[in-house]
Amino acid sequence: MSNAFYLDVERCSGCFACTVACMDQNDIEVREGPTAWRQVFAVETGAFPEAHLRYVSLACMHCADAPCLLACPTGALQREAGTEVVIVQAELCIGCHSCSIACPFGVPRYGADGTMQKCDLCSERLKSGLEPACVRVCPTKALRHGDPNELGLSVERKAAERLAGEG
Amino acid sequence: MDELERRLKAKIPGEDTGIEVRKSVCAICDPQTQCGLDLYVRDGRIIKVEGSKENPHSGGTLCSKGSATRQYVYHEDRLRTPLRRVGPRGSGEFVPISWDEALDEVVSNLQRLKAQSGPESVVFFVGYPKQMRPFVQRLALQFGTPNFCTESSTCFTAMSMAFRLVYGQMAGPDVPNTRCLLVWSANPFYANTTGARGMLDAIGRGMKLIVVDPRVTPLASRADIHLQLRPGTDGALALGMANVIIEEGLYDREFMADYSHGFAEYRDYVAQFDLARVEGITGVPAEKIRAAARLYATTGPAALMPSAAPVVHHTNGVQNYRAVFSLIGLTGNYDVAGGNRAAPFSWLEVGGAGFVTRQHEFELPRPLAELPPRVGADRFPVWADLVDQGQSMDLPRQIVSGDPYPLRTMVAFGLNHRMFPGSDHFLEALQQLEFICDIDLFATDTSRYADIVLPACSSVERSELRCYPEKYALLTEPAVAPLGESRSDTDIVFDLSQRLGLDDPLLNPLPDGGADPAATFDAALNWMFEPSGMSVAQLREHPGGMPVPAPLANPERKYRDKGFPTPTGKMELASSILQKHAAALGIDALPTYRPPRHSLEASPELAEEYPFVLNTGSRLPMFVHSRTYRLAWTRGLRPDPAADINPADATRLGIGQGDQIELATPAGAIRVLANVTELGQPGVVHMYHGCPEADVNTLLDPDYLDPISGFPGFKSLLCSVRRIDPPPARGNGHAAEAAHGNGHVADTPRDGEEVQP
Repeated sequence: MSNAFYLDVERCSGCFACTVACMDQNDIEVREGPTAWRQVFAVETGAFPEAHLRYVSLACMHCADAPCLLACPTGALQREAGTEVVIVQAELCIGCHSCSIACPFGVPRYGADGTMQKCDLCSERLKSGLEPACVRVCPTKALRHGDPNELGLSVERKAAERLAGEG
Repeated sequence: MDELERRLKAKIPGEDTGIEVRKSVCAICDPQTQCGLDLYVRDGRIIKVEGSKENPHSGGTLCSKGSATRQYVYHEDRLRTPLRRVGPRGSGEFVPISWDEALDEVVSNLQRLKAQSGPESVVFFVGYPKQMRPFVQRLALQFGTPNFCTESSTCFTAMSMAFRLVYGQMAGPDVPNTRCLLVWSANPFYANTTGARGMLDAIGRGMKLIVVDPRVTPLASRADIHLQLRPGTDGALALGMANVIIEEGLYDREFMADYSHGFAEYRDYVAQFDLARVEGITGVPAEKIRAAARLYATTGPAALMPSAAPVVHHTNGVQNYRAVFSLIGLTGNYDVAGGNRAAPFSWLEVGGAGFVTRQHEFELPRPLAELPPRVGADRFPVWADLVDQGQSMDLPRQIVSGDPYPLRTMVAFGLNHRMFPGSDHFLEALQQLEFICDIDLFATDTSRYADIVLPACSSVERSELRCYPEKYALLTEPAVAPLGESRSDTDIVFDLSQRLGLDDPLLNPLPDGGADPAATFDAALNWMFEPSGMSVAQLREHPGGMPVPAPLANPERKYRDKGFPTPTGKMELASSILQKHAAALGIDALPTYRPPRHSLEASPELAEEYPFVLNTGSRLPMFVHSRTYRLAWTRGLRPDPAADINPADATRLGIGQGDQIELATPAGAIRVLANVTELGQPGVVHMYHGCPEADVNTLLDPDYLDPISGFPGFKSLLCSVRRIDPPPARGNGHAAEAAHGNGHVADTPRDGEEVQP
């Protein structure tokens, strides 16, 4: 089965819990290495008194037809059997940044040794029946993970309830 | 990598990896939140943290601060041994000493000064967390001093005073059952994340949401109506809403007639607040105020959510919040399901957990009336009438003046001078004390001024009691051994009690020594648990916590049988207690509105030179006071001290994103980066407090206080803003990103431009 993140933008409050939980899970030292694998963006629109604020939490999307996989010349980027997660094998990475150019979301990060690193959707945790660290921590339950079709269905169900309520 | 290596790297608990999940609780923020923790422990060391799923309050989640627990617990600044100062105060020159040496030195100083100047010359102070407070207060009173002072002199208490002046007790919002929630300057998304999920769920089921907030917070962005008022004008806004509600006949006539005191005077007073005037004061369009007043008054049951600090951090703070809280009774939403429910505190100001304890009795082993007046009692008599503690804001004055009696020493559990308005002034006053003992987690800028420093351990290294409004209680076991020689604060209280020879079996069960502090702690808790039907033994069987057995029912409208616990027995729109002090303090019994003492309205000459409203301490998601600045994970999200300024002001002053600016008041100036954002409104600058490199509290006058509560006017004073020339080099764009912090968009989008995810 395939795995994806889902973010309910209506619920994301920009608290950065996911970012720090990712750093704790993956032992990311922000002073020495790259920035976190999961980022939170504040997006402001309009101006006073009609300013609006939304937040978006982003990490690797684990695309089905992942451009990074095609761009990688060494096979360092692979799809993990079973979880279908896009993973990177640092020992094969030559630090050419092709994946960075190919990625439509700007996800790849490069460590002190120049090799690429990114979110692996906590695939080892998934295999043990645990949620990704960022999903587990999310105080508003804005972040979810799972089969994209099932995630879509649950969103659709809520939309249906909303439509019925408004009707 | 083989499978075991992969599982170890991913920190998967199991026999093969040797990783065990242990239960604890996070105490980085306040007791209204304090999430359950699952600590992943290997070889006695925490390697990862996540939320406990069984905890009904936090439900397996954490915030950014709690997620950084590992850096908090193992930080290089953690104190590991007791220390004695050897260099001048502030030099940071200390030598490690043994616990015996340290405690004997503390006790000999306390005994000496007690003999010379009386026990009241000793101040016991508690910053954060709150769990040791009942124990320290009992120690203070048994020692003979009334001077138990805490951080609650600037947080929570004034809000609770405002409630108590009107209703005699607090009444929290019943969010799960309400149809309309009026949130008055609270931002749970940053400050109490456990409350945020329930609010979003309620919005999802159709609850109407009105948010009063000077900022466009994540919550305000989701409101049906956002009343973006000028800081400090809350009272005028509430009175304007009351005017609409009364004028349009939307109020609860029966409740006002039967259960209120002073309605006629109140009605006459609010009639002065026509919406044109209120719009002028608050900056909120009249029609929005009218719509909000109608929505709140007609969508019953409606609940009002207060916050611990923002509204009372004004020079008219208590009166402003009294005006706000009056709306609850006016609309008939007091102590009804879906409205605001009165419930007694269960433990540490957490109400409605379904049990009561003898905490209050434990804290006050003797009547305060037997002792000399507390710090601040003369200057803040309303505080002294309502609160069992000294008002810490008067500490520097009394230390310096010796009036009405000298203060000579302080034993502080977590002392942070940056909490005080005029923090540099407080630090100077502190140095006049003859002896200071500071007990802390970290070596801090304040602990450098102590004579003896004692290492405390964090929540995950000790045992503590927590409870939650979901009728759930939790007594933790230490999940890991205390770092170095650090000890639980309560163990230190018991050890001091024994060395002081206190005649108190609850603090000092074996006067000749040898008591096990863990057993003393359990016995004291069991004593307090007496009316609760719970026991320490029962709680210890459930490491992740347990539902409170047979939780107390909380019937609606208890005032019908019992009246209100106020002097008149009614909801006091005109306060009997304030009336008593009206002449002396220049205050009114009615919840009257006065503009912030430093504002365009109240001090126009000052406003000419200092035209901006400075709002300090508006919450940021990654910080809670000074507690997480030192953690790389949280600090990295906003590495440089930065002030939020509206794009309209920034453009006018030629300030760009990430430029260095100076904020100045008559008291001082700080240099910070500009974070140009629509989060705040034009004319208002927001600066977060407690930052070691740019301490905004140095910009406050130490006497900029509310005469009723003694709370500082942190949220509305006047300042000037100017760009520092030349702007710093911006070659690599670092400065621009630094101000926003990790992940914030570097440039403010142009008007109307949508940024798609």
